[in-house]
Amino acid sequence: MSDSEEHHFESKADAGASKTYPQQAGTIRKNGYIVIKNRPCKVVEVSTSKTGKHGHAKCHFVGIDIFTAKKLEDIVPSSHNCDVPHVNRTDYQLIDISEDGFVSLLTENGNTKDDLKLPTDDSLLTQIKDGFAEGKDLVVSVMSAMGEEQICALKDIGPK
Amino acid sequence: MQGFPERGGPGPGPGTNDLAQLQATMHTIELACASIQMHINPAAAEATILSLCQSPQPYNACQFILENSQVPDARFQAAAAIRDAAIREWGFLTADDRRSLLSFCLSFVMQHASSKEGFVLAKVSSVAAQLMKRGWLDTTAMEKEAFFNQVNQAVLGTHGLDVQFTGVNFLESLVSEFSPSTSSAMGLPREFHEQCRRSLEINYLKMFYCWARDAALSVTNRIVESKSEVPEVKVCNAALRLMLQILNWDFHLNNNSTKTSINVFSAGARLDIDSSKRSECTLVQPGPAWRDVLISSGHIGWLVNLYAALRQKFSREGYWLDCPIAVSARKLIVQFCSLTGTIFLSDNGQMHEHHLLQLLSGIIEWIDPPEAVAKAIGCGKSESEMLDGCRALLSIANVTTPFVFDQLLMSIRPFGTLTLLSTSMCEVVKVLMSTYPEEETWSWEARDILLDTWTALLVPLDSTGGNAMLPPEGINAAGNLFALIVESELKAASSALTDDVDGDYLQSSISAMDERLSSYALIARAAIHVTIPLLARLFSERFARLNQGRGIIDPTETLEEVYSLLLIAGHVLADEGEGETPLVPYAIQTYFTDNMGADEHPVIVLSSSIIGFAEQSLDPKMRASVFSPRLLEAVIWFFARWSRTYLMNPEEVRETHSHDHQLQSQQLRKGLHSFFREHNQGKLVLDIIVRVSITTLLSYPGEKDLQALTCYQLLHALVREKHICVHLVSLDSWRNLANAFANEKSLFLLDLAHQRSLAQTLVHSASGLINSEASNQYVRDLMGHMATYLGELSSKNDLKSVAQQPDIILLVSCVLERLRGVASASEPRTQKAIYELGFSVMNPILVLLEVYKHESAVVYLLLKFVVAWVNGQISYLEAHETAIVVDFCMRLLQLYSSHNIGKISVSLSSSLLSEAKTEKYKDLRALLQLLSSLCSKDMVDFSSDSIETQGTNISQVVYFGLHIVTPLISLDLLKYPKLCHDYFALLSHLLEVYPETVAQLNSEAFAHVLGTLDFGLHHQDAEIIDMCLRSLKALASYHYKETASGKTGLGLHAAGHKDSGGNLQEGILSRFLRSLLQLLLFEDYSPDLVGSAADALLPLILCEQGLYQRLGNELIERQANPTLRTRQANALQSLISANQLSSTLDRINYQRFRKNLNNFLIEVRGFLRTM
Repeated sequence: MSDSEEHHFESKADAGASKTYPQQAGTIRKNGYIVIKNRPCKVVEVSTSKTGKHGHAKCHFVGIDIFTAKKLEDIVPSSHNCDVPHVNRTDYQLIDISEDGFVSLLTENGNTKDDLKLPTDDSLLTQIKDGFAEGKDLVVSVMSAMGEEQICALKDIGPK
Repeated sequence: MQGFPERGGPGPGPGTNDLAQLQATMHTIELACASIQMHINPAAAEATILSLCQSPQPYNACQFILENSQVPDARFQAAAAIRDAAIREWGFLTADDRRSLLSFCLSFVMQHASSKEGFVLAKVSSVAAQLMKRGWLDTTAMEKEAFFNQVNQAVLGTHGLDVQFTGVNFLESLVSEFSPSTSSAMGLPREFHEQCRRSLEINYLKMFYCWARDAALSVTNRIVESKSEVPEVKVCNAALRLMLQILNWDFHLNNNSTKTSINVFSAGARLDIDSSKRSECTLVQPGPAWRDVLISSGHIGWLVNLYAALRQKFSREGYWLDCPIAVSARKLIVQFCSLTGTIFLSDNGQMHEHHLLQLLSGIIEWIDPPEAVAKAIGCGKSESEMLDGCRALLSIANVTTPFVFDQLLMSIRPFGTLTLLSTSMCEVVKVLMSTYPEEETWSWEARDILLDTWTALLVPLDSTGGNAMLPPEGINAAGNLFALIVESELKAASSALTDDVDGDYLQSSISAMDERLSSYALIARAAIHVTIPLLARLFSERFARLNQGRGIIDPTETLEEVYSLLLIAGHVLADEGEGETPLVPYAIQTYFTDNMGADEHPVIVLSSSIIGFAEQSLDPKMRASVFSPRLLEAVIWFFARWSRTYLMNPEEVRETHSHDHQLQSQQLRKGLHSFFREHNQGKLVLDIIVRVSITTLLSYPGEKDLQALTCYQLLHALVREKHICVHLVSLDSWRNLANAFANEKSLFLLDLAHQRSLAQTLVHSASGLINSEASNQYVRDLMGHMATYLGELSSKNDLKSVAQQPDIILLVSCVLERLRGVASASEPRTQKAIYELGFSVMNPILVLLEVYKHESAVVYLLLKFVVAWVNGQISYLEAHETAIVVDFCMRLLQLYSSHNIGKISVSLSSSLLSEAKTEKYKDLRALLQLLSSLCSKDMVDFSSDSIETQGTNISQVVYFGLHIVTPLISLDLLKYPKLCHDYFALLSHLLEVYPETVAQLNSEAFAHVLGTLDFGLHHQDAEIIDMCLRSLKALASYHYKETASGKTGLGLHAAGHKDSGGNLQEGILSRFLRSLLQLLLFEDYSPDLVGSAADALLPLILCEQGLYQRLGNELIERQANPTLRTRQANALQSLISANQLSSTLDRINYQRFRKNLNNFLIEVRGFLRTM
């Protein structure tokens, strides 16, 4: 089949482009990652369908933007390639929360990382703030993909 | 909300003082009913009505309302209140009270028989039925007789039509109240209901039937003679309904009359041989006692004539095809068709045949001639009569052999019943063809019923697979019908092209159509000599058409037809054989004709032509133009099904049947069998199948459905038989597959689960190699460098950054899934290689677990591989190997726990959060499975020395593991049923086998374990409660035995202690005694649990005698009613003393206590729960 124009993913030369890898659509599974409309998403649903009775299979992806939690959908022929974002997660110890909503994190090599904002969502915010206020030793996991970063998990490593 | 003042029992009429009060009550209730109807504050109104039901002895008020209120709803509620109160207070109503309530209800319905509010009458009548049943076992036969005399008078019509109608209706409620499936529970044990059922069946059911028949007879003439509708119709209809209901009764007595004791739990299962033909059909088997009423008295003739007379009237006013009386009469006639068993004399079935013939002579009018009937329905006639006719045929087919079935019609028509069946079905199929697609019409239903009829006739009767052959006329009928069916299926296939199909179309088309297709297959096998050649011809026609039209015409239509033909052929040629090796269908095995060589056998012709067709898919050009993924799916499906039955069939022709066939047929069968055997075409065909499989895997990228069929159905089926594996491993094509699997990049792009399955399949095929060394080497060659890859990756310096790259993640996932596939294929032959394989990746696994701790998908795969590996290996391992594996598992658990404990995922999206929770659940489940596998080492151990030599104590290991895992399992996570099940299975196993280890747990861990036990005790799932009860039994009996021999047992855990706040905490055994008693007495649970509850309760009581006495006293003091109080005290006492119960924990004692507890619950639970 000669349907290269069906490619949904033009690799535009912005910050995300070099941070993705091509992967055949048929191999992308639920709970994996995918780029839809230039956003890194976690796949929450995959279904395959056929084009007509005797056509080829297509994958229908439902993804959730890992940063904004928006739902995105896409349909790709299953033998074609999709972009998969390079999602990295790093643990840092939380040192401080500043008044203007930035956090101060301790990196592995002893430096601090001060360019990350607290999450905007209230419930997440309180979970972090309360934990910190109680004096717990908190480790936060920071997820980064396609040039964006966000806190995605926290863990109490303090003594019981 | 207001209550109602207590009044005396239901004595004579109210005194003048009470009158005002009664009227006030009536007024309140009327108001409440009105406000419910108008939706004004319905909650308060409901509360008012409820308070009437719940007030003590509200009978006077209720009777007053029933007799005086003008509001029907209020009367309805009053009747309901009588029922509720009487059932609740039954225990202390006097015999006179009970009687007067019952006769009040009955005389009420009789007196108000002509009232317009039918629902009030129906309610009161059902209340009367319930009261009757409640007192059934205490009432003497004399009393019952007097009572039923009144009813009989009414039913006979001495008091007029309305009363007659009411009488019949009362009997209907009574019968339904006594029938176990429709009875109301009334808080009584099943024994009670069972005794009532028996008593009614023995003594009254036939009498009721006669009354109903007489009632119907008494009005028949009037109905038949009158020109328009008459009021008698109502009575007749009710009587017919009652008769139908009685014939629906689940008759037990005649079937196992020797059994005297009532087995409550198996009473529902019928063990008669006749019904084994089709399990789901209901047969009516009332036994010989009913012969005079149903058979010899001309009853059937009357019924058939009645309906015939009704048919004449359908054009007149007041009657039509679906009028109630016609519907009831038809239903009753159909029900009579299912009559069977000992009611008929054992006179070679003559009496039965006569009976059926009588019915059929009436029914035939409904469906014959089929063309005319179908046409009339097409013109707007109601189809219900035709459908009932089909149902009657189905019922008859269920109780006769095909031969008798066919003969029945011969005496009244020039053709047999099978011909009628076939022509009817042909008409239906024609209608289907013309109305296709989508519309759900009567023809669908008719087709399904008629297909069921064919199935009932053709399904093999005995275990040898043989069934009674159809008579020649029937075979022709089946052949014609099948031809028409194929035509209609093909037409449907080619015309349904335009449908937009969704992803699971294949599944629905193959699985959901399965049942229909297998019925078709039965029909086809009844006439093999025409049907299989027909399929072969049709198939080669389509094949030729595809070849000619390549590139010229759009092949889609033909492709669809080929697709359908493949499905049909697959069903006709082979049975599904889920979970067992299917034999060549008996009809095909025994088929032969004169002068035919082996390769002319129609089955061989058809199979060869399909195989030839499939072979074309190897040619890339053909593949591109003809073999769409969907078509190849059908081919693969056909191969899978076909090869299980025919390919290299190892079985020698069984000589058991040979004596009844001629020599020639034997040879022919041998020919059929050996044609696809090793030395003949077998190997060639196997090679084709493997090459087609490789094509689907390599040349159809991304076609998951197709590849799933190849991996799970076809390849799995091939490696199941060792003798096929022997040939497989010697094939070049199979070596190519193994080679591609190890090296080809495109096979890493398959779905992960498919790769796993492929790995499993390939390892299984190693069983075809000469010896164990060769098999082990095969596995090493297959997987060796993948293990090496994991090792190299995990030792990379920049692993941390590399590992997160999506392509690496994909590769690691693939390798893990393949390893898991290999691990799950562990067999003694390949065990050594698989152990080494796992051993070589142990360290990489731990490294990867650390690196991928945030990548839950990979973590899950890691865990699953370890679970599969340990599960497959553990029982073979020697002591030092076990020590290594156990140590590895503990490190894995600790590492996992350290990553996850106290971790909170934060995300904006709720669905991502719940995903995260599900992932956690799956991980934990895998860990529990890992622990269970470790546990099994103590049960099954094939190693040469005891594991103790290396100082490994499995129980400690598993408890330690559980200790790591349990903090991760929150009560929230236990809501996942599978996790919950696994957890409690493991826990109860541990507690039963190693109670001494649990005693050593620290109090925090112990409290957690016990907390979950408490949770499980109140779970909905009976199985989980059962496991918890078993754990409790183990704990308590351990403690009891230990303390009896002077040891500490559970020690501190069992004794009460003061917690940090200074409050006294009960010991755990006391706590569980309390909650178990609470559960048994006051809560809902499945009756199946009583046994295991008894086993847990006995040791608990023995451990905590004092508390038991105290709880018992509390319970008694709470009881206000003195009679009940003594009853309760006695019951509590005899629970621990009856049946010479002693204080030892042996088998006999447990059994005695089970009996005691059963009696105890029957004695007290009824009133404790209803009070």
